[in-house]
Amino acid sequence: MDKVLYIDYERCIGCRACVIGCEECSGHDHLSRMFVDELNPGETVATSPTPCMHCVTPACAESCPVQAISIAADGTVLSASMEKCIGCKNCTYACPFGIPKVDDVKKVMYKCDMCYDRTSKGRPPMCASVCPTDTIRFVDQSDLKNDPPKPVQFKWDFGGTIIETRTVIGLPDTEENRFGYREGDGVQS
Amino acid sequence: MGHAQNKDYSQRDYDAILRDGEELISTHCCFCGMQCGMNIRVRKEDQSVVGVEPRYDFPMNGGRLCPKGVAAYRQAEHQERILHPLIRKNGKLEQATWDEAMDLIVSKIQEIQGKYGKDAFGIYSGSSMTNEKCYLMGKFARIGLGTKNIDYNGRYCMSSASVGFNQSLGLDRGGTNPWSDIKFADVLLIAGSNTAECHPLSMPYIWGARDRGAKLIVVDPRQTKTALVADVHLNIRPGTDVALVNGLLHVMIKEDLIDKDFITNHTTGFEELKELVHSYNPAYVSEITGTAADKIITAARIFGQAKNGFAMFARGVEQHATGTDAVSNYVNLCLVTGKFGRKGSGVATFTGQGNGQGGREHGQKTDQLPGFRKITDPKAREYIAGVWGVDESELPGPGLSAFEMLQSLGKEIKGLLLVCSNPIVSSPTVGDVGEYLKSLDFFVCMDFFLSESAELADVVLPSTVWIEDNGTMTNVEGRVLRVKGVDRTPGESKRDWKVICDIAERLGRGQYFQFNSPEDIFNELRVASKGGIADYYGITYEKLDKMQGVFWPCPTEESEGMPRLFEDLTFNFPDGKARILAFEYKGPNERTSKEYPIILTTGRVVYHYLSGNQTRRIDTLRNFCPDPYVEIHPKLAEQYNISNGETVKVSSPRGSIELVAKITKITREDMVFVPYHWGKSLAINHLTNPALEPKSKIPEFKVCAVKLEKIASSAGEMHG
Repeated sequence: MDKVLYIDYERCIGCRACVIGCEECSGHDHLSRMFVDELNPGETVATSPTPCMHCVTPACAESCPVQAISIAADGTVLSASMEKCIGCKNCTYACPFGIPKVDDVKKVMYKCDMCYDRTSKGRPPMCASVCPTDTIRFVDQSDLKNDPPKPVQFKWDFGGTIIETRTVIGLPDTEENRFGYREGDGVQS
Repeated sequence: MGHAQNKDYSQRDYDAILRDGEELISTHCCFCGMQCGMNIRVRKEDQSVVGVEPRYDFPMNGGRLCPKGVAAYRQAEHQERILHPLIRKNGKLEQATWDEAMDLIVSKIQEIQGKYGKDAFGIYSGSSMTNEKCYLMGKFARIGLGTKNIDYNGRYCMSSASVGFNQSLGLDRGGTNPWSDIKFADVLLIAGSNTAECHPLSMPYIWGARDRGAKLIVVDPRQTKTALVADVHLNIRPGTDVALVNGLLHVMIKEDLIDKDFITNHTTGFEELKELVHSYNPAYVSEITGTAADKIITAARIFGQAKNGFAMFARGVEQHATGTDAVSNYVNLCLVTGKFGRKGSGVATFTGQGNGQGGREHGQKTDQLPGFRKITDPKAREYIAGVWGVDESELPGPGLSAFEMLQSLGKEIKGLLLVCSNPIVSSPTVGDVGEYLKSLDFFVCMDFFLSESAELADVVLPSTVWIEDNGTMTNVEGRVLRVKGVDRTPGESKRDWKVICDIAERLGRGQYFQFNSPEDIFNELRVASKGGIADYYGITYEKLDKMQGVFWPCPTEESEGMPRLFEDLTFNFPDGKARILAFEYKGPNERTSKEYPIILTTGRVVYHYLSGNQTRRIDTLRNFCPDPYVEIHPKLAEQYNISNGETVKVSSPRGSIELVAKITKITREDMVFVPYHWGKSLAINHLTNPALEPKSKIPEFKVCAVKLEKIASSAGEMHG
C-alpha cells in the first residue's frame, strides 16, 4: 500500500492544527516540521499548508556531504540522521521548497519524515490525522495520480529542471479565483 | 463499524498507537460543542499527561482535531495550575488549607443568608462542565443553599437559540439532526457562524455536502474562511439578520418556492408571515442590510429550489437585542420550504461551549429545572421535589439572569460562588462588572487557573482539569457522550462536584448530596429528567460506551435515543404544528451616530476558547495569536490615515481600548471586528453593549457603535 500526502489548498482554514499536531509524533522531538502560509494577507484569509514534498530525486539528500538523509523503501525522504548530520545547512539551500530546518542548538537538520513512526505502522501522519478540514489527506498514490478528484500537480518546473514529488497538490481554482488563490486582486464578496 | 446511528459520520479505519509505558484515555476535547473524540496519552509510572493521540474511531471527528484540541492536554501539567486553596489576607490571595477555606465559605454563606435572606447568596456557573456538575449546581442552589439566584454563562451564548427553537418548534435541541445529515443537504445556509474557525470539525461535513454538489450560502459581515468558499456570501451589516431573512422569504413566496402542503399540514402562522414580508422586497432589504439585491434573490432561489437543506447559525445571529426573532426567522426558512425531519433537512445552532447543550437542560438556568422543565410549572416542581426528597414549597422560583445577577452584586446579592466561568472577560461592560464583583461581601471561585475573575475572589478553590474527572457531555447534535479522565488530583486540587457535596454537608444539607461518583449523580439526573423534554432516563454509562453516545430523548432502558427529530413531522406543540412567527426588523439597540459612526462586532479566533483563561496559557496557541487586534477595511483605514500594524484607539460610549490595526479587505467598510478572548486592558467587552434581548436576556455583543482614533505612540508590550 503506497500512500502519499494529498493537499487540497482550498480546504485549508489556516488553523495550524497540522503544525501543532506534527509535534506530537513520537519521532519528532516536539519540533514541528510543518508550514502554513497566509497567501495574500489583507486581501483574503486564504492559506496553504506545506509539508515536505518528498521529491522522487530529493535535492536535500543529494546535497548532503555526509549522506545523513536517507530515503525509505516507500520513497519517504527521512529527516537527517542525528549521528551523521553536521548541521551544515546544505540541504536548506538545496531544497527548492524550503522545507529542511536546522536546530541551531543541536546542530542537526530536521524535516518532515511523513511521521515515519506512524506510517511504518500503517497509520496516517499526524498532519493528515488531525487536519480538521481534510485539507491534508493520506491517500493511495496511484489512485490519486491516475484518477484525481480534481486537477492535481506533482511535477514542478524550477527554471527548466522538472522535479517530481510524491506529495500531491490539489490545485485551487485560480481561473475564477473563487477561493482567493490568485495574487493581487482580492475576492469580491 | 459500530452502531448504525454512526454510519454516515467521519470515523476512519485506523487504530490509535499505544506507546510503551503509556495508557490511552479515550475521551473528548474540553473545548466547544463538537466534543471531538481524542485519546489522552498518560505515562503509567506517574500518571502524567504527556500528549494526544488521534481517536480515529470516534464518529464525529474520526481523530481530526483543531489546534485547540491538539493542544488541550497541555493544561494538565501546566505550571500555572492552582494547586492549593487560596484565601485573601491583607488584600492578597495566600495559600491556605482546605479546612480554613471551607470553614470560611460556610460561615460566610450562613452569615450572609442569615442577615439578608437565602437569595442573597448566588451561584454563577458555566456550561463547559459535565452534565453531572451542571445538574449538581442547579440542585445545590435550590436545596443546598435554598437560593433562587443561580444562572450560568450559557446565558451569553445559547439562550437566544434556545428561546427561538422553543417558540418555533416547541423543543430546543441545538441540532434537529445528526451531524452526518449535513452531508446529504442540497443547500447549506450558514449564518453568523465562522464555522471554519469556531467549529472546524464541522468542515468535513460541509465539504461532504459540497462534494455531492450542495450549494453553500454564508451570511456573515466578514469574508471568513467559511464565507470565502461559499457560492453566495451575503455580507450583511451586523444586526440586520431579521430583515435579510424577511427578504429571502419575500422572494421565495413571490416566486412560489415554498412547500404549501407542508405549510398547511404542519405549521401555523404562514399568512401573517406572508403579509409581513410583503414589503421586504430585495431593494428595500438591500438598503437595510448593505448587501446586493441580486445576491439576496440568488440565495433565496438556491435555498427555495433545493429539496433538502439546512439553516444553521451561531452567535452572530443570536447575540442581539432581537436574537430570538432572528433565530425563529431562520427556522422559518426551513418551515416554509418543508425542510424538516429528513436526512439532509433541518436546523441547527453551532453550540459554542463544550457542554452548551447539556448545560442548558438540567437546571442551572435560573428559570429551569432538570429535563428542560420550567421552574414555574407546578407539575415540574412537584416532580423534581419528589426526586430530591424535599417539599415542593422548599424549591425557590426563578431568579435573576446572568447579566442581571452581576448587576445586582453588592445590592440584592451579597455573596457569590463562581464556577467554570470568567465573567469579567466575557460580560459586556467589563469595567463595571469588576466593580460589581468588588462590591460583594464574599466571593468564592472554583477554577484550575487563576482567571481574571478569580483574581478578585476572597477564596479560590483549586479544581481539576477536565481529564481528571469522569462524566457526560451533550454535544452540538444532542448526543450525550462519555468523558473519561485520569484518576488523579494534582496538589491539593479536588473535583468540583466533590467540593459542592462537602459544602452541602457542612451546611447540614448533606443528606441530599450523597454522591460518591459522577455516575451516582448521573443516575439521579436520569430520574430527574425522566418525562421531561430532554429525557435521559434510558441513557446509562454502559450504553454511552457501547453506542459512542446516545441522542436524547431516550426515555426507556430499551430506547436507543433519537438521532433525528421530527421525522413524523409532529412538532412539540399540542396540535403538533410548528409555529411560523413573523417579525418586523427592529435593528440593533445601539445605532451609529455622528460621534460613534462605526459598527463594532466581536467574535472568536480558532486558537482561543471563550475568555481565554485556558487557551491564552497554552504557549503554542498563544504564540499563534498573542493579542487582540482590530480588523479595518482599507477604505475605512484610509479615512483615518491608519496603516497596518499601527495602534488605534477604539471607543464606545462605555469604554475604550487600544489595539493594533489589521488592515484587511475581508471586513465591511462600515464596521470593525475585534476578537474577545482577552481580559483587563485588552478586553473588547469594555465597549460592548449590555442591552439584553427581552426573552433570552442575552446581551447584544455583536453590535455597538464606536469611533476610531489613531494613536501616535505604540501600544507597547501587550500579551494578555
